[in-house]
Amino acid sequence: MRLVAEGLSRSFGTRKVIGPLSFSLENGRVLGVAGENGSGKTTLLRVLAGLIRPSSGRVVFEEDGMSLAPRDASHALGWFAPDLALDGALTAAENLDFFAAVRGLRPDKGAAERWLAGVGLDPRRVADVPLRALSTGQRQRVKLAYATLHDPGVLLLDEPGANLDEAGRAVVQKVVASQRSRGIAIIASNDLRDLALADERLALS
Amino acid sequence: MNTPEVPLFRAAMAVVRRDLLAEWRTRIAVNALFLFAFAVLVLVGYAVGPTRLAPEDRPTVNAVLLWIVIFFSAMTGLSRVFVKEEEAGTASALRLAAPPPAILLGKYLVNILLLFAVMAFIVPLFLVLTSFEIKCPSLFIVLLVFGGLGLAGASTFTAALVSKAAAKGALFAVLSIPLLLPPLIAAVSGTQVAARETSFAAGLDFVRVLVAYDGVVTTAAFALFDAVWRE
Repeated sequence: MRLVAEGLSRSFGTRKVIGPLSFSLENGRVLGVAGENGSGKTTLLRVLAGLIRPSSGRVVFEEDGMSLAPRDASHALGWFAPDLALDGALTAAENLDFFAAVRGLRPDKGAAERWLAGVGLDPRRVADVPLRALSTGQRQRVKLAYATLHDPGVLLLDEPGANLDEAGRAVVQKVVASQRSRGIAIIASNDLRDLALADERLALS
Repeated sequence: MNTPEVPLFRAAMAVVRRDLLAEWRTRIAVNALFLFAFAVLVLVGYAVGPTRLAPEDRPTVNAVLLWIVIFFSAMTGLSRVFVKEEEAGTASALRLAAPPPAILLGKYLVNILLLFAVMAFIVPLFLVLTSFEIKCPSLFIVLLVFGGLGLAGASTFTAALVSKAAAKGALFAVLSIPLLLPPLIAAVSGTQVAARETSFAAGLDFVRVLVAYDGVVTTAAFALFDAVWRE
């Protein structure tokens, strides 16, 4: 897996938020995106995820001689962000089972429990609790499970450590380490503990 | 990069299960649909009743009133399938994970189920409250089915179209009314025929119009949805 961004920029009206940026990332690498509030970290991740189009430039994901734009590579993308929300009326396991099904996975009966345990949640304690009744930190962990349940080749993490306790931060470290062995991770944050997980940094201003 | 094949129907059924489960627990759309329908039925029953219309006027007036109740009930609740995703912030998670045609098909099926449930409540009560006599029940049922499919299909697509707008409710009605006028006119006219004639063939042209409308709306919705949902 290789991620290539060429001349990437994004403007909202006349206000340029990011770019132009060019970078590439190989398998096993973790990129930290640093910058003050409003410097465009979240916008960059949303462009890389294909959730918004760049104003100019392009992003491609390359593997096995194939080259795909983000919107055609969503099966290989995992995305985690503070403004990401899952269905609050459903339990954590119901949410994860749903996203596995729409991604075309055929998980066995205990898969959701394993995904929840993988992000440090006790599946029995959250079994009958609607997501909206969980704490912010617990919901963050469920969102981490959502982002990684399909073993994505590229994992985009926006402020992954926000609202997490030390045990939660250890889960983020574990997720990033696991991603390193599988593909690429990009962490956008202004928290030095998050950025310390990266091999290289891109500073936005 | 192995692109997994996501079976369309299986993914759509996952959307249906998830939306119905969430609806069962919150009952937001169901409450809006049924309370509106109940209130309007009571008002219609009180204002028109079984005896206040001349017998020769009943087919014309009752057919219009019936479809007005169905139409505005649909306007009340069917936009929620997409609007709730944007309001709750779940749209991006869905956008990234699920194939757009599966989302549209799933939401369309949810709206069909909701609308048919509310129609199963409205229609018998309306017939009883207004003493609306239908002489060709088979034509009436076919008109309800294809009229309902048209309402659900157009409402689902319009809901996707307005879900990111600021004034969602107003925009939904403004866009839906012109889009839904052709099937409503056909459904009202066909219902008037079903109340006057015993022959199915007498209302066949209106059924044809509804079937054609449903086909065009469904095809257009699937062709355009990817751009509407992702942009």
